[in-house]
Amino acid sequence: MKRLAVMFLLAATLSATAGCVVVPQNRRKRLADPMMRFDADALEAHKKQKFYSTREGAAGGDGTPAGGGCGCQ
Amino acid sequence: MIAWLAALLAAVSPLSPPPAPVDAPAPVSVPAYQIESVRVRYTQFAQNGIGYQSAAGPPGGPGSERVTIDQPQAEVVAHLGDRLTQRIWIPVDVVTAASPDHSRYGKPIDSPVDAVSTPSRINVAGSLDTLSTYRWSATTDVDFRAALHLEEPFESWSFGLGVTRSLAEDNTVVGASVNQVVDWFDHFDLEGTRHSRASRSTTNLNLSLTQLLSPTTVAAISYGGTVQLGTLTNTWNSVLLADGDRGEERMPRHRQRHALAGRVAQWLPWQGALKLYYRAYLDDWGIGAHTAEADLAQRVVSWLHLRATYRYHRQRATRYFTTSADPGATGFRTADSDLDAFHAQTVGGAVSLDLPTPKNRYVTRYVKDLHAEIGYEYYFRSNHLTVDITTCALGFGF
Repeated sequence: MKRLAVMFLLAATLSATAGCVVVPQNRRKRLADPMMRFDADALEAHKKQKFYSTREGAAGGDGTPAGGGCGCQ
Repeated sequence: MIAWLAALLAAVSPLSPPPAPVDAPAPVSVPAYQIESVRVRYTQFAQNGIGYQSAAGPPGGPGSERVTIDQPQAEVVAHLGDRLTQRIWIPVDVVTAASPDHSRYGKPIDSPVDAVSTPSRINVAGSLDTLSTYRWSATTDVDFRAALHLEEPFESWSFGLGVTRSLAEDNTVVGASVNQVVDWFDHFDLEGTRHSRASRSTTNLNLSLTQLLSPTTVAAISYGGTVQLGTLTNTWNSVLLADGDRGEERMPRHRQRHALAGRVAQWLPWQGALKLYYRAYLDDWGIGAHTAEADLAQRVVSWLHLRATYRYHRQRATRYFTTSADPGATGFRTADSDLDAFHAQTVGGAVSLDLPTPKNRYVTRYVKDLHAEIGYEYYFRSNHLTVDITTCALGFGF
């Protein structure tokens, strides 16, 4: 738990530092490309989430309710 | 009557409204109802392997975990006015031999698999999932999710509420959401006998932050915390006992789970994109895990994309895991191989086509883009489980 808290603080610090970066609207062409989306296809995302949450006891919990392994999702 | 039907069909048709002529003045209002996209996807999971929770094997050893899952899905996204976006999604799972039982002892290994309960032989599960996103302001979206899941021995309701807010000219997006899931299911014992109903509750909180780092880089971090209460076992899972017999699985009625994830997407100068993902996980059953994933996408020509993925997952076992439980003990115990220590890898690839619509005004009037995809992944892990995953998808944008 302590390790997780340290990692969260580290990630938050990095994010706060990154907050100084401002990318103007007219320079976001690459960022708007569909290939850059984290979850481009909701059905593909569901396929992955459902599969891993029913096969791995440590899956889920990030963005959707955790399931996991034992069928207790 | 016919006029009413015609008006109703015109209102719900994805083909409406027809586009205005080129020389017509720009419309002053957004259509009251307009379908944006329709997508369908079919996936088959073909699993092979053995696990100690399955009794479909020789006495004293792990049993078969062989199962095939066919998963068709359909999704419709529509705009209602200029502020509300509605997503309706229907996934279906058809599972063969969901819960093989131990009455297979002494039978030939290729005989039909018995199942704990009749629904376990062929189990059809369906959901209706809706997500409504309301544009509260130019920088704030509010979304509400409601879902119903049904299968013969199992029902589940879930609700979720989320907010996302853009900051610093959309350079930063922060989000928060809460989800509540309530499950009811039949309590089957190891002999397949039904004992009333069981239930569990899952409450989930998520926080996320997405940040543009450069004109070609975006990163995100998220935290998810989940609390589960109630019957957290599969009541028909068995545990191998030291005397060679099998007993029921017993797990705590409370579980706290924490997941912290980070993602980076980097544009590549040769018309490609690299996405990296890392996730750390902890829970109070003693399971800890690290997951890393890389996804490389490449545009070959404007309408053809290739994608390659690799995922590595390593987890340690729950403190209750055993493959030889004391028959007289009354404590918690499980032999579920999904809760064991293992490392798993997934390798896969996909080809997708974003086909240009034909230069025909009767086609382009209705369909703006057409997406087709075919993919394959292979999942394999250190405790004797492999899964072949084949998928194909088709989507239309209107």
